[in-house]
Amino acid sequence: MKLTKVFSVGAVALVSASVLAACGSNKSGSSSSNAKQVVNWIENAEIPTMDLSKATDVTSMNQLGNVEEGLYRLGENDKVENALATKTQVSKDGKTWTFTLRKSKWSDGTPLTAKDFVFSWRRTVNPKTASEYAYLFEGVHNATQISAGKAPVNSLGVEAQGDYKLVVRLDKRIPYFKLLMGFPLFFPQQEKAVQKFGYKYGTASKYMVYNGPFVQKGWTGSNLSWKLVKNPNYWDKSAVKLKAINYSVQKTPSTAYNLYQSNKLDAVMLDSQQTKNLKSNPGYTLRDTAATFYLQFNEKRKMFQNADLRKAISMSINRKALGNALGGSNTPATSLTAKGVVNHGGQDWSDVVGDKEFNQYNPGEAKKYFQKALKELGVKSLSFSILSDDTDAGQKTTETLQSQLEENLSGLKVSVANVPFKTRLNRSTNGNFDIVVSGWSADFADPISFIDLFTSKNANNNGKWSNAKFDQLVADSKSTGNETQRWNDLKEAEKILLKEQGISPLYYKTEAWLVRPSIKGIVYNGAGLNYNFKSAYVAK
Amino acid sequence: MTKYLLKRIFYMILTLFLVATITFFLMKFMPGSPYANEEKLTPQQIHIMNEQYGLNKPLIVQYLLYLGGMLHGDFGTSFQYSNQPVSSLIAARLGASVQLGLQALIVGVILGVIIGSIAAMKQGTWVDSTATVIAIIGKSVPNFVLAVLLQYYIGLKLGWFSIAGWGDFSQTILPTIALSVGPLAETARFIRTSMVDTLSSDYIELGKAKGLSRMEVIRKHAMRNSFIPLVTLIGPYAVALMTGSMVIENIFNIPGIGEQFVKSILTNDYPTIMGVTMVYCIGLVVILLITDIIYGLIDPRIRLAGGEA
Repeated sequence: MKLTKVFSVGAVALVSASVLAACGSNKSGSSSSNAKQVVNWIENAEIPTMDLSKATDVTSMNQLGNVEEGLYRLGENDKVENALATKTQVSKDGKTWTFTLRKSKWSDGTPLTAKDFVFSWRRTVNPKTASEYAYLFEGVHNATQISAGKAPVNSLGVEAQGDYKLVVRLDKRIPYFKLLMGFPLFFPQQEKAVQKFGYKYGTASKYMVYNGPFVQKGWTGSNLSWKLVKNPNYWDKSAVKLKAINYSVQKTPSTAYNLYQSNKLDAVMLDSQQTKNLKSNPGYTLRDTAATFYLQFNEKRKMFQNADLRKAISMSINRKALGNALGGSNTPATSLTAKGVVNHGGQDWSDVVGDKEFNQYNPGEAKKYFQKALKELGVKSLSFSILSDDTDAGQKTTETLQSQLEENLSGLKVSVANVPFKTRLNRSTNGNFDIVVSGWSADFADPISFIDLFTSKNANNNGKWSNAKFDQLVADSKSTGNETQRWNDLKEAEKILLKEQGISPLYYKTEAWLVRPSIKGIVYNGAGLNYNFKSAYVAK
Repeated sequence: MTKYLLKRIFYMILTLFLVATITFFLMKFMPGSPYANEEKLTPQQIHIMNEQYGLNKPLIVQYLLYLGGMLHGDFGTSFQYSNQPVSSLIAARLGASVQLGLQALIVGVILGVIIGSIAAMKQGTWVDSTATVIAIIGKSVPNFVLAVLLQYYIGLKLGWFSIAGWGDFSQTILPTIALSVGPLAETARFIRTSMVDTLSSDYIELGKAKGLSRMEVIRKHAMRNSFIPLVTLIGPYAVALMTGSMVIENIFNIPGIGEQFVKSILTNDYPTIMGVTMVYCIGLVVILLITDIIYGLIDPRIRLAGGEA
């Protein structure tokens, strides 16, 4: 009925772009809230919930990460810093973790204890809660069985010893366990509040209780503006410099940019046209989103079992041209694990494992591999279809791929299918595609959150690519207690995946922003919690 | 009259029931689940979630449960906004859309009537041509283009009104203008045509011959008869405007219902889809009824009760 209007959003962007272009350069205004320690921030969507057991989206996570706090807080480059935990002991086998908690308070003045963690974790894995993120508890003793309704909730491997000691038992070693503890899903919840507010818990600012650097005010459930103000009960309140963060939801980039220019907003995310026009603006900032887009080949189709064909396809793709077609802020990808997720020995993980041979545009080699593949398959020509979303980006991706592949590989016929997001997911899961453009964003800053996807049995391995050596390495990385060994296993595994073209990486999603230069000290991480405002301030 | 109304109300309820049924089953044919995190959930996990929400029950059972809930005024809780009742979600969002829609309708129709009438009276002159050009531009320029231009030049460059937001009246001015252009153009076009027709009819000549002044003829005879086609036009227009425009709401950051509806479809938020569809549908049938009643009032030739009275 109103669906046609969705498509005019693209037109809005186009119109606004031409308006901006017509007006030439736009001066960026000087900062309005100078030294007032108030920031006007943007979100792209409404808050769906403040119930941390139920939140799945970026907006909710950003709120929760600033109004609540767990054992750790993630600093620059996902560095784990003590928050409510003051001391952490890990048993030799890595399966028992003992956290000593500091004394701290909820915003209503009640003391926060280890029992609040136990309550929160049990609530999340309880199948009645229907948490969409409960799977991240996998590995905590009994979590999976509890979520499946096969074990009682109180058998979860978490226990409060007195008020300030929390003991966690794991079924297996979780190498990235500390990172998880900085993710809002593992934060404490106050039983009293959950009981008192009932089904209203987390549906508005007033139906919540907070323990983070800020408390939330004025969110009524689905409105478009609210604020965070400094929490006077926060244990480390002297470190919090901002008095308030005013949030508003902005869905049209041109509106957001107009507001930025008139100093009503201090940050805006740019669309592709704005990105091209505003690269020299002093506030221009690129954000790695910890997301990679890649091709999956359906290996139920005989032709895609042929690695030479997959390589030929990959080497025919000019990823830089694809990035330009998509707006210019995305980065060409050579690895599955997104850029900016993991820093490994001073080097970005994507550079450590990135494959420069098959994920590089090389039409000459591509032709050779294609001829080889045709011979091996015993055919003279091939045709397949590429499936992607019906969004602007999805359509530009398939168009570009279609023309690049057909141009570089003679004897190849490519058709495209652009379908709504949910349909794409559905067809991916059912294996109803030849090649599909998929995207994945990391839940936590560890390569395993990407690599795990392509083990033979993983539900997200839609193409059913399978490699015994790869599976073994991933399994080894999970069982070894040796840190160096683990990294080596992961490194080798991802290299195999890329060399074999089990998937073909296209680009890392990078967002272009304008952020008022006077605002300092914001900690941004692509994976886990995006924005941490605890130490942010407005420079004089 | 009472008999007519009862009959109409019976048909309205029947319409609502059919719309609810058809929408329910069409909606269930959409692929995917209502879970935001669907891409990361395994089929087993989705199965567990479906059990929690009763989504694995046979379709007909889900349908009967849904109808039962709706009869009690319970539309269920939203999936996009965890635990929020759909009724309160709609209540919180509908107000802004209705206010904006009404403002745009009033402004558009009044200006449209004025422009159309002037054009008809000055038929064939430059005034008429100008009005026609306005109507064509208004009809062919999409409202979001105008919205972006208004926002940039009047909001940002001149700073006369807020760029975006919702709260005080001044923030409604730019979106009202943007939204009113459509009805303005349409009304002007209709009024002009219908008034030109009326002005050339015999009874107008008679009025003039009776010695009535030109303004009196137009006010008492021409206007009233020219308004009849307008009523047909305004009814559905009112519904369309008041149910919100996703694009205009997004451009001006208005917490309206338009975008919610589109988003609920894209995310398979079943209870919200049903809730908003039913509210739209109720709005439409009620306004159509009102339109028919108004018809009877302004045109005595149309008798609601027909020959049975």
